[in-house]
Amino acid sequence: MRLLLALIASLVLFFLDSRMNYFAPVRSGLSVIVYPLQTIASFPSDSSKWFEELVQNRKELIEKNSQLAAINLANSVRLQTLEDLERENMRLRELLGSSFRLHERVKVAEVLAVDLDPFSQQVVIDKGARYDVFIGQPVLDATGVMGQVMQVSQFSSQVVLLTNPSHALPVQVNRNGLRAVVTGRGLGKHLQLEHVPHNADIRQGDLLVTSGLGGRFPVGYPVGRVVSVSSSQGQPFASIRVEPAAKLSTSREVLLVLAAESLDMLSGTESVVEEADHGDE
Amino acid sequence: MATSKSSGGGGVIITTIIISALLTIVPLPESIRLFRPEFVGITLIYWTMAVPNRVGISFAWTIGLLMDVMLGGALGLLAFTYALIVYLVLQFHLQLRQYPMWQQALSILSLVLLLQILFVLVSSHSAGWEFWLPAISSMLIWPLFFNVLRTIRRTFHVH
Repeated sequence: MRLLLALIASLVLFFLDSRMNYFAPVRSGLSVIVYPLQTIASFPSDSSKWFEELVQNRKELIEKNSQLAAINLANSVRLQTLEDLERENMRLRELLGSSFRLHERVKVAEVLAVDLDPFSQQVVIDKGARYDVFIGQPVLDATGVMGQVMQVSQFSSQVVLLTNPSHALPVQVNRNGLRAVVTGRGLGKHLQLEHVPHNADIRQGDLLVTSGLGGRFPVGYPVGRVVSVSSSQGQPFASIRVEPAAKLSTSREVLLVLAAESLDMLSGTESVVEEADHGDE
Repeated sequence: MATSKSSGGGGVIITTIIISALLTIVPLPESIRLFRPEFVGITLIYWTMAVPNRVGISFAWTIGLLMDVMLGGALGLLAFTYALIVYLVLQFHLQLRQYPMWQQALSILSLVLLLQILFVLVSSHSAGWEFWLPAISSMLIWPLFFNVLRTIRRTFHVH
């Protein structure tokens, strides 16, 4: 009898949760209960990292410092040209009458060293509703797009990675602007580019960036590189495998992209368009 | 006296379950990560077998719900499977106690396999052969696990 009740209760929960998302508040409430457990579980690796930093000797630190200085120098040289290009790009886009936003504001969060079900491709980060994390917020790391926030509780949130089989992301090829959708394929597998015809101009080594068409991710962040393109005659579409740009399994620090204030952007666009129209007349 | 003793036993059971939940999410090296046994499941199985009057279906259901939240799966999935497994163990706990260790381990294998089959049925995972490794590792770790938990049970007089 009790078994029947339990089974029915869990079935109801299961369907309501997965089909209608009624239980987001319940879930975030219960997440607060399990958060201490997750913190404790990540404690060994956190403390070993701390200990490692403590006992690092002077020579290593100097070495690391000089390495970082070299990287910094290289980056700042590239940044100079980038700023120039950015300004040029803005001018050109103003001429075209389209808006473009290069600066997104980001927030840094840390991945908790917690191992969830390896097949579901999720991670837990240490920022939650208290830091205005929201569902669907894009998550990046230093090298590319990692995924998006799936659940938010008070102190932590869960991020679903690009490699999750139920995750899809609109992208474009950086070289020619070809649009497509990239989907995850699960543990240890490459991403896959969906519904690309055989004759599409896409090659091995092409960089894919976010296209921003889904309305969730900002434009122009690297997603991955094409590792192989194979088109067999029997298949309706080419089979294209993509290596993620982000270090999905090793990154500790991640960046949460804040919602862009689209209002001023829109009004700016309109005025630009108007001016362009007047110019035409 | 009796009540204070039994409440202490409840604390022991909950502590072992918390520890096994920690073992479930503690990061492991990449090479053995996929072999992680179903710690919470076999802890529940042990306590149901050893003290069936203390562990019930609703308890297992609650633990399963919390595990669902912690692992970020579909809400109610582990609650369902833990409740079902504890029900089965409650039905057969007398036989299970009589079995020799290897036969018990085989029963663990089948119970964890059942858990995983239910998992595959409702989730969208494309499950390869790696998916079934936890059932095997749960079976292999069972003799050790059984002895540790029995020592705990005898030390703290959980009846």
